[in-house]
Amino acid sequence: MTGLDLSKKVADRYLKREVLGEGTYGVVYKAIDTKTGQVVAIKKIRIGKQKEGVNFTALREIKLLKELKDPNIIELIDAFPHKGNLHLVFEFMETDLEAVIRDRNIFLSPADIKSYLQMTLKGLVVCHKKWVLHRDMKPNNLLIGPNGQLKLADFGLARIFGSPDRRFTHQVFARWYRAPELLFGTKQYGPAVDVWAAACIFAELLLRRPFLQGSSDIDQLGKIFAAFGTPTASQWPDMVYLPDYVEYQYVPAPPLRSLFPMASDDALDLLAKMFTYDPKNRISVQQALEHRYFSSAPLPTVPDKLPRPAPKRESHNSRTSDFNPPEGPTVLSPPRKSRRVMPEREGFEGNAYQNDKLDDHVSEVRPGLGDHASRNEQVPMSLDFSIFGARPPNRPTINSADRTHLKRKLDLEFQHPE
Amino acid sequence: MAANFWTSTHYKQLLDPEEVDVVHPLDRERGVTVEDFKLVKMHMAQYILRLAQHVKVRQRVIATAVTYMRRVYTRKSMSEYDPRLVAPACLYLAAKAEESTVQAKALAFFIRKLYAEEKPRYERYEIKDILEMEMKILEALNYYLVVFHPYRSLTHLLQDAGMDDMTQFTWGLVNDTYKMDLILVHPPHLIALACIYIASVYKDRDTTSWFEELRVDMNVVKNIAVEILDFYENHKLIAEDRVNAVFNKLALKP
Repeated sequence: MTGLDLSKKVADRYLKREVLGEGTYGVVYKAIDTKTGQVVAIKKIRIGKQKEGVNFTALREIKLLKELKDPNIIELIDAFPHKGNLHLVFEFMETDLEAVIRDRNIFLSPADIKSYLQMTLKGLVVCHKKWVLHRDMKPNNLLIGPNGQLKLADFGLARIFGSPDRRFTHQVFARWYRAPELLFGTKQYGPAVDVWAAACIFAELLLRRPFLQGSSDIDQLGKIFAAFGTPTASQWPDMVYLPDYVEYQYVPAPPLRSLFPMASDDALDLLAKMFTYDPKNRISVQQALEHRYFSSAPLPTVPDKLPRPAPKRESHNSRTSDFNPPEGPTVLSPPRKSRRVMPEREGFEGNAYQNDKLDDHVSEVRPGLGDHASRNEQVPMSLDFSIFGARPPNRPTINSADRTHLKRKLDLEFQHPE
Repeated sequence: MAANFWTSTHYKQLLDPEEVDVVHPLDRERGVTVEDFKLVKMHMAQYILRLAQHVKVRQRVIATAVTYMRRVYTRKSMSEYDPRLVAPACLYLAAKAEESTVQAKALAFFIRKLYAEEKPRYERYEIKDILEMEMKILEALNYYLVVFHPYRSLTHLLQDAGMDDMTQFTWGLVNDTYKMDLILVHPPHLIALACIYIASVYKDRDTTSWFEELRVDMNVVKNIAVEILDFYENHKLIAEDRVNAVFNKLALKP
């Protein structure tokens, strides 16, 4: 099944190498394209057991990637049926942005951050120009190629937003990257949801940890409001009409500077515009790319000069995005950051008291980076999470509960016969 | 219309009219003529429509399915790709691609139903066959699945021309263009304009100045309109016995 016969050629063209991992809908393996000599990653989409033919998610990805050809979007090189399964051939990518952010041996200069963000937005602008929403922007879906080029990948959730009245599911994006309008259950949304997620990625590049780590949808909103203040009616008039709108206790916005002490003024200005509450007023990707942040010094690092994780002995491809390294996401608990304890509050979050939000807020304001030494920390850095019998939340993906929910939603009706 | 059409694979794949109605050599050996070929495609567009009405999908899905079917036959023969299987499989694939999935089981059920009603013109195919053909169609389409249609431009254009009352009439005309290969040859907004042009002539509306303000080649629009009118002239009905005769030809060994 998983290709023990390494020398075998697939479809007379691809020389099969090691298995890279298990993707959402099948095995991913490395291969050599004998026609071009290029290293590729092949996704094998299992069809055999499916009673509904070609996997719906895979089909979406094929459909959209055939339309989106750009240096900052993963290239679908080829597709072919083989032994009853559909195979998708992608360019081989060395690593992903999550691995870069997580790697403590890597120092990211302001110019490096600018470069990674610029490539992210360049890929995204191509999607939006073609009326495609990505809907699953997160560092681990931003793959990095051998020359440092960052490319958007995993379009399994993406869709065309052409028809203005079509209602979509709001259960998209991993929670930490979900825009407030989605968390409030909107069914009609646009490219602004990708901008919010890109802002979260920008913040993550600056902080070197996920910025808004909510443990539930309610808590996610709490985290957002703690960071930017509870939105007022004048800031976001349509908010109260959203399907899942609930009132949150008012908290004022701490100065953005206090959350990102190391960021430049231009960076903060762009970040604030990308984190605008009202999706109608949120900056577009095109406008973001034209922001002075990208033209002011330091200029973005050229891609092949960007720092990347040291190559591993046995190459684990980034394409294996669903697969968690055994040592766990170190970014969640860097020892030098007391803010790590904040997810702990999630233990009490079940009750979802508005007061908790306020508490969170008070502690969130504390600058997380840079001046930890100068601050008198309230919590010892060596605090053991096990005291609370809980662990910091794992980096959420679209989980199985969401998936089930997704399937039930109007635009993903996909029942299996039997 | 939509700025993205011009960068789409649909635009890049538009064909010259001469490239569309070419009978595949394998079919020609069996005596299939260009007229036969057109007739079968028209008949299969009708079959897709009938199945679609049973499984209840949007007009857009039907239009995409017919486009897939027509694209397949610019590359593949009818003797190897039985239209009576390609048609439902295209509907099945189009439903997925347009995000309103139809169950293979439901489709197979209605295939059987139509087959029982009108035996020779439809063939009995099972889920397994549909799924196998889905994969072959994907390959024949070279995995290009995004298709643009005249409907959205039509709505915008009618509004702009102040002809909202013509929506139903023109919409029907657009539906009928899928009985031809126009969608493989012309940009969708020009097909929409041709339908508006026919409607304004037919209903005696003066749209000359409105058309003049549009920056489009009126010759192309008029040519499309003439093609549509010719079609109405020549193909009022799908002659069933003629369709059956073509299927008999296809079944023969050359």
